[in-house]
Amino acid sequence: MTKKRKFKKGVILKLLFLLAVFILILLAIVFIFKKVTAIKYKEYTKTLNYMDTVIDIKIYSNNENEANTIISEIEKIYKHYHELTDRYNKYDDINNVYIINNTKEIAQLDIDKDLYEILNYSVNWYYKSNELFNINIGNLTDLWKKYRDNKTGIPTNDELYRLSGLDIKHIVLYNDNKILTGNVNLDLGGIAKGYATEVAHHYLKSIGFERYLINAGGTVLAGINSEGNKYKVGLQDPDNASAILKDGDKEIKLNLSNAIITSSGGYERFYEFNGVRYHHILNPNTKMPANNMKSVSVITDDAMLGDVMSTTLFLMSVEDGQKFIENFDNVEAIWYTNDNKVIKSSGVQKYE
Amino acid sequence: MNKSDIKLIIIIILIAIIVLSMIAILNDNSNKQALVYYDNKLVLTIDLSETEKKEYLVDGYNGVVKIIALDGKIKVDEEDSPLHLCSKQGFIEHSYETIVCLPNKVVIKIVSSKDNDLDTILR
Repeated sequence: MTKKRKFKKGVILKLLFLLAVFILILLAIVFIFKKVTAIKYKEYTKTLNYMDTVIDIKIYSNNENEANTIISEIEKIYKHYHELTDRYNKYDDINNVYIINNTKEIAQLDIDKDLYEILNYSVNWYYKSNELFNINIGNLTDLWKKYRDNKTGIPTNDELYRLSGLDIKHIVLYNDNKILTGNVNLDLGGIAKGYATEVAHHYLKSIGFERYLINAGGTVLAGINSEGNKYKVGLQDPDNASAILKDGDKEIKLNLSNAIITSSGGYERFYEFNGVRYHHILNPNTKMPANNMKSVSVITDDAMLGDVMSTTLFLMSVEDGQKFIENFDNVEAIWYTNDNKVIKSSGVQKYE
Repeated sequence: MNKSDIKLIIIIILIAIIVLSMIAILNDNSNKQALVYYDNKLVLTIDLSETEKKEYLVDGYNGVVKIIALDGKIKVDEEDSPLHLCSKQGFIEHSYETIVCLPNKVVIKIVSSKDNDLDTILR
Protein backbone atom coordinates (compact mmCIF):
# COMPACT_ATOMS: atom_id res chain seq x y z
CA MET A 1 0.00 0.00 0.00
CA THR A 2 2.64 2.50 1.04
CA LYS A 3 4.89 1.40 -1.76
CA LYS A 4 2.15 1.97 -4.33
CA ARG A 5 1.42 5.51 -3.03
CA LYS A 6 5.10 6.41 -3.15
CA PHE A 7 5.25 5.24 -6.76
CA LYS A 8 2.27 7.41 -7.73
CA LYS A 9 3.81 10.48 -6.11
CA GLY A 10 7.00 9.83 -8.02
CA VAL A 11 5.17 9.71 -11.34
CA ILE A 12 3.39 13.00 -10.64
CA LEU A 13 6.66 14.70 -9.68
CA LYS A 14 8.35 13.36 -12.79
CA LEU A 15 5.48 14.63 -14.94
CA LEU A 16 5.71 18.04 -13.26
CA PHE A 17 9.44 18.01 -13.88
CA LEU A 18 8.96 17.23 -17.55
CA LEU A 19 6.29 19.92 -17.82
CA ALA A 20 8.58 22.50 -16.23
CA VAL A 21 11.39 21.65 -18.63
CA PHE A 22 8.99 21.74 -21.57
CA ILE A 23 7.64 25.16 -20.61
CA LEU A 24 11.16 26.50 -20.13
CA ILE A 25 12.28 25.30 -23.55
CA LEU A 26 9.14 26.78 -25.10
CA LEU A 27 9.74 30.15 -23.43
CA ALA A 28 13.35 30.17 -24.55
CA ILE A 29 12.35 29.38 -28.14
CA VAL A 30 9.66 32.09 -28.21
CA PHE A 31 12.06 34.63 -26.72
CA ILE A 32 14.89 33.85 -29.10
CA PHE A 33 12.52 33.76 -32.06
CA LYS A 34 11.14 37.19 -31.15
CA LYS A 35 14.62 38.68 -30.77
CA VAL A 36 15.88 37.21 -34.01
CA THR A 37 12.88 38.07 -36.17
CA ALA A 38 12.22 41.55 -34.74
CA ILE A 39 13.19 44.15 -37.34
CA LYS A 40 15.07 46.94 -35.67
CA TYR A 41 13.23 50.16 -36.37
CA LYS A 42 14.93 53.38 -35.47
CA GLU A 43 13.00 56.42 -34.42
CA TYR A 44 13.45 59.58 -36.48
CA THR A 45 11.94 62.85 -35.31
CA LYS A 46 11.74 66.41 -36.44
CA THR A 47 10.01 69.45 -34.98
CA LEU A 48 8.69 72.03 -37.43
CA ASN A 49 7.13 75.41 -36.92
CA TYR A 50 4.49 76.30 -39.48
CA MET A 51 0.94 77.70 -39.39
CA ASP A 52 1.60 79.30 -36.03
CA THR A 53 2.01 75.94 -34.37
CA VAL A 54 4.60 73.32 -33.45
CA ILE A 55 4.50 70.21 -35.64
CA ASP A 56 6.14 67.07 -34.26
CA ILE A 57 6.95 64.35 -36.80
CA LYS A 58 7.96 60.89 -35.61
CA ILE A 59 8.59 57.96 -37.91
CA TYR A 60 10.06 54.49 -37.45
CA SER A 61 12.25 53.09 -40.17
CA ASN A 62 15.12 50.66 -40.66
CA ASN A 63 16.50 52.74 -43.50
CA GLU A 64 18.02 56.13 -42.79
CA ASN A 65 17.69 57.39 -46.37
CA GLU A 66 14.05 56.45 -46.45
CA ALA A 67 13.45 58.19 -43.12
CA ASN A 68 15.16 61.40 -44.21
CA THR A 69 13.30 61.45 -47.53
CA ILE A 70 9.93 60.99 -45.83
CA ILE A 71 10.59 63.68 -43.24
CA SER A 72 11.76 66.19 -45.84
CA GLU A 73 8.73 65.47 -48.08
CA ILE A 74 6.38 66.04 -45.13
CA GLU A 75 8.18 69.25 -44.27
CA LYS A 76 7.80 70.44 -47.88
CA ILE A 77 4.04 69.81 -47.67
CA TYR A 78 3.58 71.80 -44.45
CA LYS A 79 5.81 74.62 -45.76
CA HIS A 80 3.87 74.78 -49.05
CA TYR A 81 0.47 75.00 -47.33
CA HIS A 82 1.81 77.37 -44.69
CA GLU A 83 2.89 79.82 -47.39
CA LEU A 84 -0.35 79.46 -49.39
CA THR A 85 -2.63 80.00 -46.39
CA ASP A 86 -0.60 82.67 -44.54
CA ARG A 87 -2.67 85.86 -44.19
CA TYR A 88 0.07 87.92 -42.53
CA ASN A 89 3.08 87.48 -44.86
CA LYS A 90 3.81 87.35 -48.56
CA TYR A 91 6.31 85.06 -50.24
CA ASP A 92 8.17 85.26 -53.51
CA ASP A 93 6.33 84.14 -56.62
CA ILE A 94 3.09 82.94 -55.04
CA ASN A 95 -0.35 84.49 -54.83
CA ASN A 96 -1.29 83.43 -51.33
CA VAL A 97 -4.05 84.45 -48.91
CA TYR A 98 -2.09 87.61 -47.97
CA ILE A 99 -2.04 88.72 -51.62
CA ILE A 100 -5.75 87.88 -52.08
CA ASN A 101 -6.77 89.81 -48.94
CA ASN A 102 -4.61 92.81 -49.77
CA THR A 103 -5.63 93.18 -53.42
CA LYS A 104 -8.28 95.83 -52.87
CA GLU A 105 -9.32 96.37 -56.50
CA ILE A 106 -11.71 93.96 -58.15
CA ALA A 107 -9.56 91.72 -60.32
CA GLN A 108 -9.01 88.15 -61.48
CA LEU A 109 -6.11 86.64 -59.60
CA ASP A 110 -4.37 83.44 -60.67
CA ILE A 111 -3.78 81.16 -57.70
CA ASP A 112 -2.02 77.85 -57.12
CA LYS A 113 -4.35 74.90 -57.74
CA ASP A 114 -3.68 73.63 -54.19
CA LEU A 115 -4.96 76.91 -52.73
CA TYR A 116 -7.91 76.79 -55.13
CA GLU A 117 -8.76 73.30 -53.83
CA ILE A 118 -8.72 74.42 -50.18
CA LEU A 119 -10.96 77.40 -50.96
CA ASN A 120 -13.34 75.23 -52.93
CA TYR A 121 -13.49 72.61 -50.14
CA SER A 122 -14.06 75.34 -47.54
CA VAL A 123 -16.86 77.03 -49.48
CA ASN A 124 -18.61 73.67 -49.89
CA TRP A 125 -18.29 73.17 -46.15
CA TYR A 126 -20.03 76.46 -45.45
CA TYR A 127 -23.21 74.95 -46.86
CA LYS A 128 -22.70 71.53 -45.24
CA SER A 129 -22.14 73.13 -41.83
CA ASN A 130 -25.45 75.02 -41.63
CA GLU A 131 -23.57 78.19 -42.67
CA LEU A 132 -21.29 78.14 -39.60
CA PHE A 133 -17.91 77.28 -41.13
CA ASN A 134 -17.02 80.51 -42.90
CA ILE A 135 -13.57 81.33 -44.30
CA ASN A 136 -14.56 84.85 -45.41
CA ILE A 137 -14.40 85.92 -41.79
CA GLY A 138 -11.15 87.91 -42.04
CA ASN A 139 -12.74 91.29 -41.20
CA LEU A 140 -14.03 89.83 -37.94
CA THR A 141 -10.71 88.10 -37.19
CA ASP A 142 -8.84 91.37 -37.73
CA LEU A 143 -11.20 93.34 -35.47
CA TRP A 144 -10.87 90.87 -32.60
CA LYS A 145 -7.13 90.49 -33.15
CA LYS A 146 -6.67 94.25 -32.74
CA TYR A 147 -8.24 94.02 -29.28
CA ARG A 148 -6.46 90.77 -28.40
CA ASP A 149 -3.05 92.23 -29.30
CA ASN A 150 -3.68 95.34 -27.20
CA LYS A 151 -5.52 93.46 -24.42
CA THR A 152 -7.63 96.56 -23.90
CA GLY A 153 -11.27 95.58 -23.98
CA ILE A 154 -13.49 94.02 -26.61
CA PRO A 155 -15.09 95.35 -29.81
CA THR A 156 -18.08 97.59 -29.10
CA ASN A 157 -21.58 96.52 -30.13
CA ASP A 158 -21.52 99.33 -32.68
CA GLU A 159 -18.27 98.09 -34.23
CA LEU A 160 -19.62 94.55 -34.41
CA TYR A 161 -22.93 95.73 -35.86
CA ARG A 162 -21.25 97.81 -38.55
CA LEU A 163 -18.76 95.09 -39.45
CA SER A 164 -19.60 93.64 -42.86
CA GLY A 165 -18.06 91.70 -45.70
CA LEU A 166 -18.46 88.24 -44.16
CA ASP A 167 -20.71 86.98 -46.96
CA ILE A 168 -19.45 83.67 -48.38
CA LYS A 169 -20.93 84.59 -51.80
CA HIS A 170 -18.18 87.18 -52.19
CA ILE A 171 -15.77 84.30 -52.75
CA VAL A 172 -15.95 83.78 -56.50
CA LEU A 173 -13.84 80.90 -57.80
CA TYR A 174 -13.62 79.85 -61.40
CA ASN A 175 -11.60 78.16 -64.09
CA ASP A 176 -9.91 75.89 -61.49
CA ASN A 177 -7.25 78.53 -60.79
CA LYS A 178 -8.82 81.97 -60.40
CA ILE A 179 -10.39 84.00 -57.63
CA LEU A 180 -12.08 87.39 -57.80
CA THR A 181 -10.41 89.83 -55.40
CA GLY A 182 -11.63 93.09 -53.89
CA ASN A 183 -14.43 91.78 -51.70
CA VAL A 184 -12.81 88.99 -49.75
CA ASN A 185 -10.83 88.79 -46.54
CA LEU A 186 -10.01 85.16 -45.94
CA ASP A 187 -8.99 83.35 -42.75
CA LEU A 188 -8.10 79.67 -43.23
CA GLY A 189 -7.24 79.09 -39.55
CA GLY A 190 -10.03 76.51 -39.21
CA ILE A 191 -8.79 74.28 -42.03
CA ALA A 192 -5.14 74.93 -43.02
CA LYS A 193 -3.46 72.56 -40.51
CA GLY A 194 -5.93 69.75 -41.08
CA TYR A 195 -5.74 70.18 -44.84
CA ALA A 196 -1.94 70.06 -44.91
CA THR A 197 -1.97 67.08 -42.53
CA GLU A 198 -4.32 65.22 -44.85
CA VAL A 199 -2.03 65.95 -47.82
CA ALA A 200 0.83 64.47 -45.76
CA HIS A 201 -1.46 61.51 -44.96
CA HIS A 202 -2.09 60.97 -48.70
CA TYR A 203 1.64 61.11 -49.38
CA LEU A 204 2.36 58.49 -46.68
CA LYS A 205 -0.39 56.23 -48.06
CA SER A 206 0.90 56.64 -51.62
CA ILE A 207 4.34 55.29 -50.67
CA GLY A 208 2.83 52.59 -48.44
CA PHE A 209 4.57 53.86 -45.29
CA GLU A 210 2.73 53.15 -42.04
CA ARG A 211 4.99 53.73 -39.02
CA TYR A 212 4.38 57.39 -38.22
CA LEU A 213 2.92 59.74 -35.65
CA ILE A 214 2.42 63.41 -36.51
CA ASN A 215 1.25 65.90 -33.91
CA ALA A 216 0.40 69.17 -35.62
CA GLY A 217 -0.95 71.16 -32.67
CA GLY A 218 -4.60 70.22 -32.35
CA THR A 219 -4.42 67.49 -34.98
CA VAL A 220 -2.78 64.10 -34.45
CA LEU A 221 -2.26 61.74 -37.38
CA ALA A 222 -1.53 58.23 -36.15
CA GLY A 223 -0.25 55.33 -38.26
CA ILE A 224 1.12 52.33 -36.39
CA ASN A 225 3.99 52.26 -33.90
CA SER A 226 7.36 50.52 -34.14
CA GLU A 227 5.80 47.21 -33.04
CA GLY A 228 2.87 47.50 -35.45
CA ASN A 229 0.44 48.42 -32.69
CA LYS A 230 -1.84 51.35 -31.93
CA TYR A 231 -0.70 54.63 -30.41
CA LYS A 232 -2.05 55.85 -27.11
CA VAL A 233 -3.16 59.46 -27.37
CA GLY A 234 -4.21 61.58 -24.39
CA LEU A 235 -6.47 64.63 -24.56
CA GLN A 236 -5.16 67.78 -22.91
CA ASP A 237 -7.30 69.25 -20.14
CA PRO A 238 -8.48 72.70 -21.39
CA ASP A 239 -8.15 74.04 -17.83
CA ASN A 240 -4.68 72.65 -17.10
CA ALA A 241 -2.11 72.43 -19.87
CA SER A 242 0.01 69.78 -18.14
CA ALA A 243 -2.87 67.45 -17.24
CA ILE A 244 -4.90 64.95 -19.21
CA LEU A 245 -8.64 65.45 -19.49
CA LYS A 246 -10.58 63.13 -17.19
CA ASP A 247 -13.99 61.53 -17.58
CA GLY A 248 -14.94 61.12 -13.92
CA ASP A 249 -11.68 59.87 -12.38
CA LYS A 250 -10.46 58.18 -15.53
CA GLU A 251 -8.01 59.93 -17.83
CA ILE A 252 -9.13 59.93 -21.47
CA LYS A 253 -6.62 57.89 -23.43
CA LEU A 254 -7.48 56.70 -26.91
CA ASN A 255 -5.96 53.84 -28.87
CA LEU A 256 -5.53 55.02 -32.42
CA SER A 257 -4.03 53.54 -35.55
CA ASN A 258 -4.59 54.73 -39.11
CA ALA A 259 -6.78 57.45 -37.67
CA ILE A 260 -6.73 61.14 -36.92
CA ILE A 261 -7.99 63.07 -33.95
CA THR A 262 -8.39 66.81 -33.99
CA SER A 263 -9.66 69.23 -31.39
CA SER A 264 -10.99 72.75 -31.21
CA GLY A 265 -11.06 74.72 -28.02
CA GLY A 266 -10.79 78.19 -26.66
CA TYR A 267 -7.79 77.42 -24.48
CA GLU A 268 -4.92 77.73 -26.96
CA ARG A 269 -5.18 81.37 -27.97
CA PHE A 270 -7.14 83.79 -25.82
CA TYR A 271 -6.96 86.94 -23.72
CA GLU A 272 -8.78 87.99 -20.59
CA PHE A 273 -10.62 91.23 -20.02
CA ASN A 274 -12.63 92.03 -16.88
CA GLY A 275 -12.21 88.41 -15.81
CA VAL A 276 -13.79 87.01 -18.99
CA ARG A 277 -11.86 84.89 -21.48
CA TYR A 278 -12.06 85.83 -25.14
CA HIS A 279 -10.55 83.21 -27.46
CA HIS A 280 -9.86 83.03 -31.18
CA ILE A 281 -12.64 80.83 -32.62
CA LEU A 282 -15.31 83.26 -33.75
CA ASN A 283 -18.92 82.60 -34.62
CA PRO A 284 -19.69 84.44 -37.91
CA ASN A 285 -23.35 84.87 -36.91
CA THR A 286 -22.97 86.25 -33.37
CA LYS A 287 -19.58 87.82 -34.25
CA MET A 288 -18.43 86.72 -30.79
CA PRO A 289 -16.06 83.94 -29.64
CA ALA A 290 -18.06 80.71 -29.50
CA ASN A 291 -18.88 79.68 -25.95
CA ASN A 292 -20.96 76.53 -26.32
CA MET A 293 -18.32 74.29 -24.70
CA LYS A 294 -14.71 74.15 -23.49
CA SER A 295 -13.47 71.86 -26.23
CA VAL A 296 -14.50 69.25 -28.75
CA SER A 297 -12.39 66.48 -30.31
CA VAL A 298 -13.19 64.56 -33.48
CA ILE A 299 -11.92 61.10 -34.37
CA THR A 300 -12.07 60.13 -38.03
CA ASP A 301 -9.83 58.95 -40.86
CA ASP A 302 -9.50 62.19 -42.84
CA ALA A 303 -7.66 65.16 -41.32
CA MET A 304 -9.34 67.75 -43.59
CA LEU A 305 -12.75 66.54 -42.55
CA GLY A 306 -11.63 66.29 -38.91
CA ASP A 307 -10.39 69.88 -38.79
CA VAL A 308 -13.46 71.50 -40.34
CA MET A 309 -15.71 69.15 -38.35
CA SER A 310 -14.18 70.08 -34.99
CA THR A 311 -14.38 73.80 -35.84
CA THR A 312 -18.02 73.35 -36.91
CA LEU A 313 -18.95 71.36 -33.79
CA PHE A 314 -17.29 74.01 -31.61
CA LEU A 315 -19.62 76.62 -33.15
CA MET A 316 -22.76 74.50 -32.52
CA SER A 317 -24.48 73.52 -29.31
CA VAL A 318 -23.51 70.06 -28.04
CA GLU A 319 -27.02 68.76 -28.82
CA ASP A 320 -26.95 70.10 -32.39
CA GLY A 321 -23.47 68.61 -32.84
CA GLN A 322 -24.65 65.18 -31.66
CA LYS A 323 -27.33 65.22 -34.37
CA PHE A 324 -24.98 66.74 -36.95
CA ILE A 325 -22.34 63.99 -36.82
CA GLU A 326 -24.97 61.32 -37.45
CA ASN A 327 -24.91 62.50 -41.09
CA PHE A 328 -21.33 61.31 -41.47
CA ASP A 329 -19.81 57.85 -41.54
CA ASN A 330 -16.78 57.21 -39.39
CA VAL A 331 -16.94 60.43 -37.36
CA GLU A 332 -16.88 60.24 -33.57
CA ALA A 333 -16.68 63.13 -31.12
CA ILE A 334 -15.89 63.92 -27.48
CA TRP A 335 -17.33 67.14 -26.07
CA TYR A 336 -16.11 68.80 -22.88
CA THR A 337 -18.90 71.05 -21.69
CA ASN A 338 -18.74 74.38 -19.86
CA ASP A 339 -19.82 72.60 -16.67
CA ASN A 340 -16.93 70.10 -17.00
CA LYS A 341 -18.87 67.09 -18.28
CA VAL A 342 -17.47 64.72 -20.87
CA ILE A 343 -19.96 63.63 -23.53
CA LYS A 344 -18.96 60.98 -26.06
CA SER A 345 -20.62 59.79 -29.23
CA SER A 346 -21.51 56.11 -29.24
CA GLY A 347 -18.53 54.90 -31.30
CA VAL A 348 -15.84 56.44 -29.07
CA GLN A 349 -15.77 53.34 -26.87
CA LYS A 350 -14.09 51.29 -29.58
CA TYR A 351 -11.02 53.53 -29.20
CA GLU A 352 -10.84 53.21 -25.40
CA MET B 1 11.92 9.65 -7.36
CA ASN B 2 14.61 10.22 -4.76
CA LYS B 3 16.10 13.21 -3.02
CA SER B 4 18.51 14.03 -5.83
CA ASP B 5 15.60 14.20 -8.29
CA ILE B 6 13.85 16.74 -6.09
CA LYS B 7 17.08 18.73 -5.78
CA LEU B 8 17.41 18.73 -9.56
CA ILE B 9 13.85 20.01 -9.96
CA ILE B 10 14.46 22.78 -7.47
CA ILE B 11 17.70 23.78 -9.21
CA ILE B 12 16.00 23.87 -12.62
CA ILE B 13 13.11 25.93 -11.28
CA LEU B 14 15.59 28.33 -9.66
CA ILE B 15 17.51 28.67 -12.92
CA ALA B 16 14.22 29.30 -14.73
CA ILE B 17 13.27 32.05 -12.31
CA ILE B 18 16.71 33.66 -12.61
CA VAL B 19 16.69 33.53 -16.42
CA LEU B 20 13.14 34.89 -16.67
CA SER B 21 13.80 37.74 -14.25
CA MET B 22 17.00 38.60 -16.12
CA ILE B 23 15.00 38.80 -19.34
CA ALA B 24 12.48 41.03 -17.59
CA ILE B 25 15.22 43.30 -16.21
CA LEU B 26 17.00 43.53 -19.55
CA ASN B 27 13.75 44.49 -21.28
CA ASP B 28 12.73 47.01 -18.66
CA ASN B 29 15.26 49.71 -19.35
CA SER B 30 13.65 52.27 -17.06
CA ASN B 31 16.20 55.03 -17.59
CA LYS B 32 14.51 58.37 -17.91
CA GLN B 33 16.33 60.91 -20.03
CA ALA B 34 15.75 64.38 -21.37
CA LEU B 35 16.94 65.05 -24.91
CA VAL B 36 17.82 68.64 -25.74
CA TYR B 37 17.80 69.67 -29.40
CA TYR B 38 19.09 72.84 -31.01
CA ASP B 39 17.85 73.43 -34.56
CA ASN B 40 16.68 69.79 -34.70
CA LYS B 41 20.12 68.45 -33.73
CA LEU B 42 20.60 66.59 -30.47
CA VAL B 43 23.03 68.66 -28.39
CA LEU B 44 22.60 67.27 -24.85
CA THR B 45 21.26 64.18 -23.11
CA ILE B 46 20.35 64.59 -19.45
CA ASP B 47 19.84 61.67 -17.07
CA LEU B 48 16.61 62.29 -15.16
CA SER B 49 16.86 59.31 -12.82
CA GLU B 50 18.81 61.39 -10.28
CA THR B 51 16.88 63.40 -7.74
CA GLU B 52 19.36 66.19 -6.98
CA LYS B 53 19.13 69.56 -8.69
CA LYS B 54 21.41 70.08 -11.67
CA GLU B 55 21.90 72.99 -14.03
CA TYR B 56 22.81 72.85 -17.70
CA LEU B 57 23.60 75.57 -20.22
CA VAL B 58 22.81 75.18 -23.91
CA ASP B 59 23.48 77.66 -26.71
CA GLY B 60 20.21 78.90 -28.19
CA TYR B 61 19.61 81.17 -31.17
CA ASN B 62 19.31 84.26 -28.96
CA GLY B 63 21.94 83.24 -26.43
CA VAL B 64 22.40 80.82 -23.58
CA VAL B 65 19.41 78.76 -22.43
CA LYS B 66 19.58 77.65 -18.79
CA ILE B 67 17.98 74.29 -18.03
CA ILE B 68 17.29 72.82 -14.59
CA ALA B 69 16.77 69.12 -13.88
CA LEU B 70 15.35 68.14 -10.51
CA ASP B 71 13.66 65.05 -9.14
CA GLY B 72 12.92 63.47 -12.54
CA LYS B 73 11.55 66.71 -13.93
CA ILE B 74 13.07 69.33 -16.22
CA LYS B 75 12.44 72.97 -17.03
CA VAL B 76 13.91 75.95 -18.84
CA ASP B 77 14.89 78.47 -16.18
CA GLU B 78 16.24 81.37 -18.21
CA GLU B 79 16.31 82.23 -21.92
CA ASP B 80 16.22 85.29 -24.11
CA SER B 81 13.00 85.62 -26.09
CA PRO B 82 10.19 88.17 -26.52
CA LEU B 83 7.47 86.27 -24.64
CA HIS B 84 9.49 83.83 -22.49
CA LEU B 85 6.90 81.14 -23.25
CA CYS B 86 9.22 78.20 -22.61
CA SER B 87 10.53 79.43 -19.26
CA LYS B 88 6.96 80.22 -18.20
CA GLN B 89 5.92 76.67 -19.04
CA GLY B 90 7.64 75.24 -15.95
CA PHE B 91 8.58 71.65 -15.26
CA ILE B 92 7.70 68.71 -17.48
CA GLU B 93 8.08 65.06 -16.47
CA HIS B 94 6.15 62.82 -18.90
CA SER B 95 7.37 61.41 -22.20
CA TYR B 96 4.44 62.97 -24.03
CA GLU B 97 5.36 66.47 -22.84
CA THR B 98 7.79 68.75 -24.67
CA ILE B 99 9.24 72.18 -24.10
CA VAL B 100 9.61 74.20 -27.28
CA CYS B 101 11.56 77.46 -27.29
CA LEU B 102 10.83 78.63 -30.83
CA PRO B 103 12.85 81.87 -30.85
CA ASN B 104 15.85 79.95 -29.48
CA LYS B 105 15.25 76.88 -31.70
CA VAL B 106 15.61 74.69 -28.59
CA VAL B 107 13.37 71.68 -28.00
CA ILE B 108 13.41 69.43 -24.92
CA LYS B 109 11.83 65.98 -25.04
CA ILE B 110 11.63 63.27 -22.39
CA VAL B 111 12.24 59.63 -23.22
CA SER B 112 11.48 56.91 -20.74
CA SER B 113 10.66 53.29 -21.38
CA LYS B 114 8.85 52.96 -18.05
CA ASP B 115 6.60 55.93 -18.68
CA ASN B 116 5.43 54.63 -22.05
CA ASP B 117 1.75 54.88 -21.28
CA LEU B 118 1.01 57.72 -23.71
CA ASP B 119 2.62 58.30 -27.09
CA THR B 120 1.42 61.86 -27.52
CA ILE B 121 -1.05 64.38 -26.17
CA LEU B 122 -3.60 66.22 -28.29
CA ARG B 123 -3.12 69.90 -27.53
